[in-house]
Amino acid sequence: MKLLTHNLLSSHVRGVGPRGFPLRLQATEVRINPVEFNPDFVARMIPKVEWAALLEAADTLHLIEVPKEPIEGYEHDEEFLRKMHHILLEVEVLEGTLQCPESGRLFPISRGIPNMLLSDEETET
Amino acid sequence: MQRLINDDPESWLKAISIWKNLELDAKKEKLSQKDANPLKRKMGENDVIVAKKLETEQMHEIRENKECQLEKQIEAAALEQGHRITKRQEFLEEDLQKDAVGSRTHSDLTFRVSCRCSGAIAKTFTAQEVGRVFGIALMKQFGWKADLRNPNLEVFIHLSDIYSVVGIPMFRVPLASRAYIKTAGLRSTTAWAMACLAEIKAGAFVLDPMCGLGTILLEAAKEWPDVYYVGADVSDSQLLGACDNLKAAGLKDKIELIKASVTELPLPSESVDTIISDIPFGKKFKLGEDIKSILQEMERVLHIGGTAVLLLSEDHCRRLRDHGGTSIPLNCREGHAGEPGSEECLNPEGKTGISDPVSPSFAASNQDSLDRMPPFGSLVPVECYKVSLGKTDAFMCKYKKLHSPGP
Repeated sequence: MKLLTHNLLSSHVRGVGPRGFPLRLQATEVRINPVEFNPDFVARMIPKVEWAALLEAADTLHLIEVPKEPIEGYEHDEEFLRKMHHILLEVEVLEGTLQCPESGRLFPISRGIPNMLLSDEETET
Repeated sequence: MQRLINDDPESWLKAISIWKNLELDAKKEKLSQKDANPLKRKMGENDVIVAKKLETEQMHEIRENKECQLEKQIEAAALEQGHRITKRQEFLEEDLQKDAVGSRTHSDLTFRVSCRCSGAIAKTFTAQEVGRVFGIALMKQFGWKADLRNPNLEVFIHLSDIYSVVGIPMFRVPLASRAYIKTAGLRSTTAWAMACLAEIKAGAFVLDPMCGLGTILLEAAKEWPDVYYVGADVSDSQLLGACDNLKAAGLKDKIELIKASVTELPLPSESVDTIISDIPFGKKFKLGEDIKSILQEMERVLHIGGTAVLLLSEDHCRRLRDHGGTSIPLNCREGHAGEPGSEECLNPEGKTGISDPVSPSFAASNQDSLDRMPPFGSLVPVECYKVSLGKTDAFMCKYKKLHSPGP
């Protein structure tokens, strides 16, 4: 699971609503995957990023050199884009958990795939 | 059948010229080992049109089908492999260099007729009889020689209850076979067509909430690489298969997988730009949730102005129609997105990625199905195509989300 994905996932436990985001990340196995750098693509993803969630997740994974926010003219700042590329796309959480901040419910991550399935009682009616 | 050949030899000759050019193109691509994408794309485009056209029955439709067949092929075919390629290449190039008259009549071709009859017509004629009539007519008209073992040209005829197809096959393997897919789910050409309809833009977030083996995402990612793809499925085995497919295709970095249910998507509302999905149907899939809850959740996560392209069974469509009948679309209240807006969307000539001349019968029957598909909340149907999946038929429906769903 990449951090770009983590940035999108929210908890769907009954009654939680928007407070189900962001999910708290715990990782037991992380891998760094080299991914071809595509500055256009990264630049397009920047506006979609929820920065607070990203910073929290990056912090948990002890990532260094994480920009605190998008800088002015980021579309042309290769250094900035490369850093974001690395954080969003090259860090892969293989094993760990995601926790709903409101309900405490844990969602396991296994072989890089987060399991977000809820049981019947947990789902919203 | 004889009339088909004798009445219009011109279109046959034209067809053969096209075939030869395509063969040459195909060989060149094979020899230079270029990416087969452009050819594939062209064929893929006609895929949708032809699939629609197969509905019509008349013999006079054959010619149209035939021309489409040449650029796209539906049934299995023949392509010589290996050392024969270079020989044929030389032969073809030689042939094309002959004077105008000579190459126009294509009098030096050898051919073979393969025929298949099914349905009611099989009771009147045998395949051999049909084949023989065709073969003799072709020989008389064009002077081609029959060669059953290794013909230059194979003419393929399929007569059934619904359509009559005459075609010249281009390749030995089905068009849908892909080098990069290990285990295919949905037919690749159909998946590709769906991705085409979906108006995928660079930097978009594309979701397939019932991705299965990931066929649709794979096709889309190959064609539109600067996009963020996510696939979700409830089944471990499917996700594992999808993972394998992604690895084999080298697309592991472009497509993310999550284990989630389409009726409870772990995504915030209005966070997805595009949804493309093949909604499972048939007795093999036991769908716990019904089509309405599936669409509801899709509607929730889709951005306003977002597109959803869904492959639905007749059954799904029927249920949606019933649903549409009982609830008045909420967009009536919202003014600008009311009836006039809906009518615009129902215009089949609207924004479509597939720009091909469309015959009047196609537009008419398209309008038909469109009229029968109601809006689902704020999801308004924009285009709808009937697609043959072999044993069954399905509908490829494109929806646009006009505004937020009502309370």
